[in-house]
Amino acid sequence: MSPALELVHLSKRFGGVVAVDDVSFSVAQGEFLTLLGPSGSGKTTTQRLIGGFEQPDSGEIRIKGQRVDRLPPYRRDTATVFQSGALFPHKTVAENIAFGLRMRGVPAGEIGPRLKRALEVVRLGGFEDRYPAQLSGGQKQRVALARALVVEPAIVLFDEPLSALDLSLRLQLRGEIKGLHEELGFTAIYVTHDQSEAMAMSDRVAVMNAGRIEQIDRPENIFNRPANEFVYVFIGESCCLPLTVNGALRAPDGRPIDLSLARPLPEGAHRLYVRPKQLRIGSEAEVCENRILGRITFFEYLGDVYRYHVDVGGVGLFVDHAGMAPFGPGDQVLLGWSSRDMTVFQ
Amino acid sequence: MVWPFSQSDLFRWLHAALVTLIVLFIAVPVAVTAVMSFNDASLIRFPIRAWSLRWYLDFFSSSQWTQALRNSLEIAAYTTLVSTVFGTIAAYAFTRLRFPLKGAFYFLVMLPLFMPGIVLGLGIAIAFGGVELFGLQLYGGKALVVVAHCLWAMPLTFMVMEATFKTFDERLVEAAYDLGGGPVRTFFEVTLPMVSTGVISGALFSFVISLNEFVMALFLTTRDTQTLPVLMWLSLRSAGTPRLAVAAVVLAAAVFLSLVLVMLWYARHVRKLR
Repeated sequence: MSPALELVHLSKRFGGVVAVDDVSFSVAQGEFLTLLGPSGSGKTTTQRLIGGFEQPDSGEIRIKGQRVDRLPPYRRDTATVFQSGALFPHKTVAENIAFGLRMRGVPAGEIGPRLKRALEVVRLGGFEDRYPAQLSGGQKQRVALARALVVEPAIVLFDEPLSALDLSLRLQLRGEIKGLHEELGFTAIYVTHDQSEAMAMSDRVAVMNAGRIEQIDRPENIFNRPANEFVYVFIGESCCLPLTVNGALRAPDGRPIDLSLARPLPEGAHRLYVRPKQLRIGSEAEVCENRILGRITFFEYLGDVYRYHVDVGGVGLFVDHAGMAPFGPGDQVLLGWSSRDMTVFQ
Repeated sequence: MVWPFSQSDLFRWLHAALVTLIVLFIAVPVAVTAVMSFNDASLIRFPIRAWSLRWYLDFFSSSQWTQALRNSLEIAAYTTLVSTVFGTIAAYAFTRLRFPLKGAFYFLVMLPLFMPGIVLGLGIAIAFGGVELFGLQLYGGKALVVVAHCLWAMPLTFMVMEATFKTFDERLVEAAYDLGGGPVRTFFEVTLPMVSTGVISGALFSFVISLNEFVMALFLTTRDTQTLPVLMWLSLRSAGTPRLAVAAVVLAAAVFLSLVLVMLWYARHVRKLR
């Protein structure tokens, strides 16, 4: 069986700007794939190319083996949940949801039951006759979800559907979408710049940057085995310590430092990364394989941890410490980390 | 002497006086005409000695006057239809498409609105004076008056619709396409209902402009096709009976009625979207 969706060497430029640069991937039937990246990374354009709202300059898009890249959006078997919801304000909830069914020529007798079922799925039974202006933000997004799912498209496209909602609602709807995916088994392409959303929902995540896919993999691998420096820095928080090898390995201020490396670094500039949760401070640092001295500049209370900001030869690092450590601003402290937790890029 | 009012009191009084004056200024001519239409005498003249509906009966039993009213309404209706349809389509094209000389086209579309009616009326009369189409004399026909009125009405609907389309959320069109609606169905199901406020406002403008227009109609109509304002003008020259005042009241009532209808519709429409 052919994959639900295939992109083959897809490219799109706007004027002189390359928005999508030779992107290829394929998505299996029922898979939940997230396009994750900063703004301007090409994730939204990639999705608009799939939906048919932009024409690619080159490359192919196939849905279930059929080429669709020259078809207008209304001939493609995709349905989008838009960021704003994009509900029709002059139509009721029921009319909004039934719109796609009518446009796709579903027989009138079938529309009623499917509409009812869709309303149940998003738990909006009894809201049929409301207008979008009478709904809350979360209800609107549920209607948008129902409107897209009810036509049972080959691909459901999510265009940052939760970014306009506040945090608690975002978490709740995130869970609902995930649950519906498990229940209904639709194929989803989800665009977001929120990495926790991407990690929580996806079967696979494609990290995009400057129009290219930097890495496409399971969320665990994206986090634990980033393919390159961009993915490492983009996903999660990290501290960066610039190093130079100039005869010897040197810290930013030129002091030689000693790291326990599997193999020596070549000459030149390097960047060493450690996650703040994996950095140790004070007495805990003394047992680590790698250590460096710094001076505390300030600390913050973040709820679950205290974050100590440490100046190391002019470079700011930060360490997350469970509970308060016996240091204050101005104190000289030892930082340490295990070799397994550090990553060095040249 | 102590000034008995504070300054803010003074301003409040001035404000009230000014508003009253403006209202009077607008209302008095209409009110006087309306009062005069109930005059029993044969001349438009104060004082009014006896009141009656005599001239209303006279107006509505005169085939000449009712025909003129019918002509006016018919021409206004066609003007509304033509200018709303074409003004909307043109505005849609202007907001969605990019083409060369757009600014020049915009200027051309809007230009007739600023032309004196007498210039347009004369121009059309000269240009179409002897033109026959399918054996029908264009000049003197209602169709030509409709065309003339559209010269004013269409730029207005165009202007209103252009402003309306600019506020229209294009993402709704994308959402409709995305769900399988083709361009035509999307236009009628989504775009048009969303801009209906503009359409109705534009239609109202067209209807009222056509109903009120006098100079071009004077140039372009014959005895059979003359509109109510034209007939009023001509009859004022021969005999100034209160029948004229009745005609004025009828004309004003037609405009007022269309305004009320539009406002009722608008109130209902807005309730739905809020």
